[in-house]
Amino acid sequence: MKNLQIQRTNSSPSIDADWDSGIIRMQGDSYPENSFELFQPLIDWVDTYLREAKRPLLLDLELLYLNTSSIRAMMDIFDMLEEAHGQGQSVAARWSYDAANERVGQLADEFKEDCSFPFTIHDKNLS
Amino acid sequence: MSLRLPARDLVAPDLHELRTSFSRQNILLCFNGPITAPLIEEIGTALRRHMENNDESPSAVSDVFSVYIEMAQNIRRYAQAQQCEHEASTIVISRDGQGRYVICAGNIVIDADGQALLKRIGDLGELDKAALKAAFKAQLRIPRDTLGQGAGLGLIDMARKASEALGCSLRPLDDGRALFSLRVVL
Repeated sequence: MKNLQIQRTNSSPSIDADWDSGIIRMQGDSYPENSFELFQPLIDWVDTYLREAKRPLLLDLELLYLNTSSIRAMMDIFDMLEEAHGQGQSVAARWSYDAANERVGQLADEFKEDCSFPFTIHDKNLS
Repeated sequence: MSLRLPARDLVAPDLHELRTSFSRQNILLCFNGPITAPLIEEIGTALRRHMENNDESPSAVSDVFSVYIEMAQNIRRYAQAQQCEHEASTIVISRDGQGRYVICAGNIVIDADGQALLKRIGDLGELDKAALKAAFKAQLRIPRDTLGQGAGLGLIDMARKASEALGCSLRPLDDGRALFSLRVVL
């Protein structure tokens, strides 16, 4: 499986999914008109990785503002990780944000509420 | 055929009157016309900059921006689905007497769709913040292919951020259509 790289724009985050390291990095705002189109390649990549790689997966996020259709797409990805975790696979998420914008922290918290795998949320100014 | 026009048309549009009206109503940004994806982005960027330059808190900027985006994208998705993208929509961002941000938008809808929206928004108005959060999470997991145009999630999100119940109205036009307007006070 190839790596997946999508460039950041004003309204969509950079997406960098690395097969060998098992790390997916996403940075930026996400409010594209068609979030399904943006996220489907990533959803497919995660699905393949979880089925074939048999190695840990880390979702490393520095996402800022997400429109509701991007939230729905991210929830699909978190649900896939949750299912893999339930089957004993090693998955984790880390969400770094600037504590000056508490809305980002609240958004990350709401995702975390529905996940039982390791999920850390931290102020990037402190790390 | 005469080229002479009545005096009022010679000064139309009356920019002075428009500006005075905008300023009296504390309107900081408004748009009227067919909305496109690049326009939504550009206006959103201008809105963020404007608020940041006014030293607004990141949370306030984020809330106004997010309500604006949900509203504008709902209108755009509806216009695309109805194939009426040439139709003008109106989006206005202002502040009320208490300094709260108010985001309003109006667009042309089929009357029955407008009635359904009024009902949906009325129902959301009955819910407290905890119930809205539960409704949001439930809506998130409704499979994409069984959804309408996703306006449900956007409306719940707006209601969660709003400081009072969402306001809306429907003004009937001709041929079974109506002007739907939505008002969110933060």
